[in-house]
Amino acid sequence: MAHASHNILRFRAVTVRYGRRVALDDVTADVPCGSLVAVAGPNGAGKSTLLRSILGWHPLSAGEIRIGDTHTHHQLPRFAYVPQAHQVDYDFPATVRDVVAQARWPARRPWQRLTAADHEAIDRALAELEITDLASRPIRELSGGQRQRMFLARAVAQGADIFLLDEPFAALDRRAARELTHILRAWRAQGRTVLAALHELDAAREHFTHALLLSTRLVAVGPVAEALSDAAIHAAFDESACMHEAAPPVPRTAIFPR
Amino acid sequence: MSLGELLLDPFALPFMQRGLAAAVLVGLSGGALGSLLVLRRLALMGDALSHSLLPGLALAYLFFGQNVGALLVGALLAGLLTAAGGALLSRLTRLKEDAAFGALFILFFAAGIALVSHYPSRLDLAHFLFGSILGVGSEELRFAALVSTITIALLLWFRRSLALHAFDPAFHRATGGRGGLVHVGLLALVVFNLISALQVMGIVLSLGLFILPAVTAYLWVERLAAMMLLSGALAALGATVGLLLSFHLGVASGAAIVLTLGAFFLGSALLSPRHGLAAPLLARWRTGKRVLHRPD
Repeated sequence: MAHASHNILRFRAVTVRYGRRVALDDVTADVPCGSLVAVAGPNGAGKSTLLRSILGWHPLSAGEIRIGDTHTHHQLPRFAYVPQAHQVDYDFPATVRDVVAQARWPARRPWQRLTAADHEAIDRALAELEITDLASRPIRELSGGQRQRMFLARAVAQGADIFLLDEPFAALDRRAARELTHILRAWRAQGRTVLAALHELDAAREHFTHALLLSTRLVAVGPVAEALSDAAIHAAFDESACMHEAAPPVPRTAIFPR
Repeated sequence: MSLGELLLDPFALPFMQRGLAAAVLVGLSGGALGSLLVLRRLALMGDALSHSLLPGLALAYLFFGQNVGALLVGALLAGLLTAAGGALLSRLTRLKEDAAFGALFILFFAAGIALVSHYPSRLDLAHFLFGSILGVGSEELRFAALVSTITIALLLWFRRSLALHAFDPAFHRATGGRGGLVHVGLLALVVFNLISALQVMGIVLSLGLFILPAVTAYLWVERLAAMMLLSGALAALGATVGLLLSFHLGVASGAAIVLTLGAFFLGSALLSPRHGLAAPLLARWRTGKRVLHRPD
C-alpha cells in the first residue's frame, strides 16, 4: 500500500449552489488513501451534496474536485456509489445476483453480453460479502442487513477503489451495523477508501478513521478524534441542536400513584 | 357449431385478420412496455397520457382525415404538451407532479371532446373513444408492425438503462446514466404504442392492453425479463381471445380485450401461489399438512 500521506481525493474551494441557496460553501479538504471518512454534519449541511458532486451530479459554482490530476467525473469507474437502502423498491422483480450484476452493466455496450470476467467479478463480490448462497433469491426476501450487503457487493463488483455511501447505518439493526463495521475495516485493510454521509456522530467516532465535519462550509477535517472535537461539533451544530450528543434527560410530566 | 368454426372461422374475414394482427403486434410491445410503467408506478400517469391525446388526434383527423402520419404527429404533440406541461407546472409551482398531470390531462380530454362534438358530421366520437376494428386498414397494420418492431428493438437495446433507471435511479445516474432521457424516451414509446393501439382499443381503453398483462405477469414471476416476456405474451393472447369474444357476442373489441385481460388478472390475483390472495391460505394448508399432531 502507498504511504499514508498520499491523498487520493482533493477538494479545492468547492462551492455548490441550488438556485440562490448555497449547499456547499468553499470546502477545501484532502482525503487520504485508504481512510474511512465520515462526512458528518447536521441536516442540510451538504453531506449528500458533497458525495454527489464528486460524481459530477451538481455543477460546481466554484472550485474543483480532483483525483490525482483529473476531475473526478472523468473517473467514474473508480467510484462506487451506494444509495440509501430505503430508496429502492424491494418488490422489484430481480434476484440478488441480478442486482450485483448491475455493477458490470455500465462497462458493456448495449449489444454486448457480460463476459466471463464480469461473471467472475460478480461471483467474487458475492463471496466477499458472504451472500453467495442468497444469489438466486428474489430481493424482496432479504433482511435489512442482507439488503445492504447486496448493495455493497454491487459496489465491490464495480471494481472501484473509492466508495461513496449515503447514510449506510440508517435502518440497520445492531447486528447488521456490526457486520457493516467489519466490512468497512476489511475494505480499509485492502487499501479501499470510503466516504460515508452520516448524521450520527457516535457511529462516526466508532467506525471511521477520519471525519469531515460540514455545516455548509467546512468546520473541521482530519482524524476523527480531532475533527469531531467538542468545539468543532459545537460550531457545526450551533446551539440549534438538530441532534443530541447524548440522550436528553426525560422530563417528568406526571406523577403516577402507586 | 364446432370448435373450429368457433375459433377459426371469424379469422377468415379480412377485417378480423387485420384487427387480430394489429392487436397481437401492439400487445407484444405494449405488454412489455407496460411492465416498465407498472414498476415505475406510472400506470395511472400512462392512463392520463392516453386521454390527453384526444385533441391532437381530433385536430389531425379534422385537417388530414384518416392519415396515420398526421394522427401520429397530432397525438405526439398533445402527449408531449401534457407531459412537458405537467413537469413544468410541478417544478415551477407548489403542485406535485401527479396533481399537475391530473389537472392537465382532464383539460386536454375535455378540449378533445369539445372538438369532436363540434364537428359531429366529420368526427365520430365513439370511434375515437372506443376504437373500431373495421378501421384497421393495411396502412394501420403496417404502422402497428413498425411501432412494435421499433419498440421491441429499443427495449432490447436499452434494456439495462431501463431496468437500472426503474430499479435504482440514483445508481443509474451515478454510473453515468441519463435519467431524464430514459424517462422521456419511455413516455414517447408509450405514446407511439397508444396510437398503434388506437383503432382496435380506442383511447379510453388502450392502456388496458399495456397495464393489465403487466400486473398479471407481476403476480407470477420474479425477474424483469420474464415479466416483460410474459406480459407481452399475455397481451397477445388476451387480444386474440378478446377479438373472438367481440365477434361472437357483438361487444366492442377494446372492451372485450380488456375484459379478457381483466379475467386473467383477477384469476391471478386470487390464485397466484406467492403473491395472490390465496397465497396465505395455501401456505397455511401446506404447513398444516406437515404438522402431524396437534396438541388439542
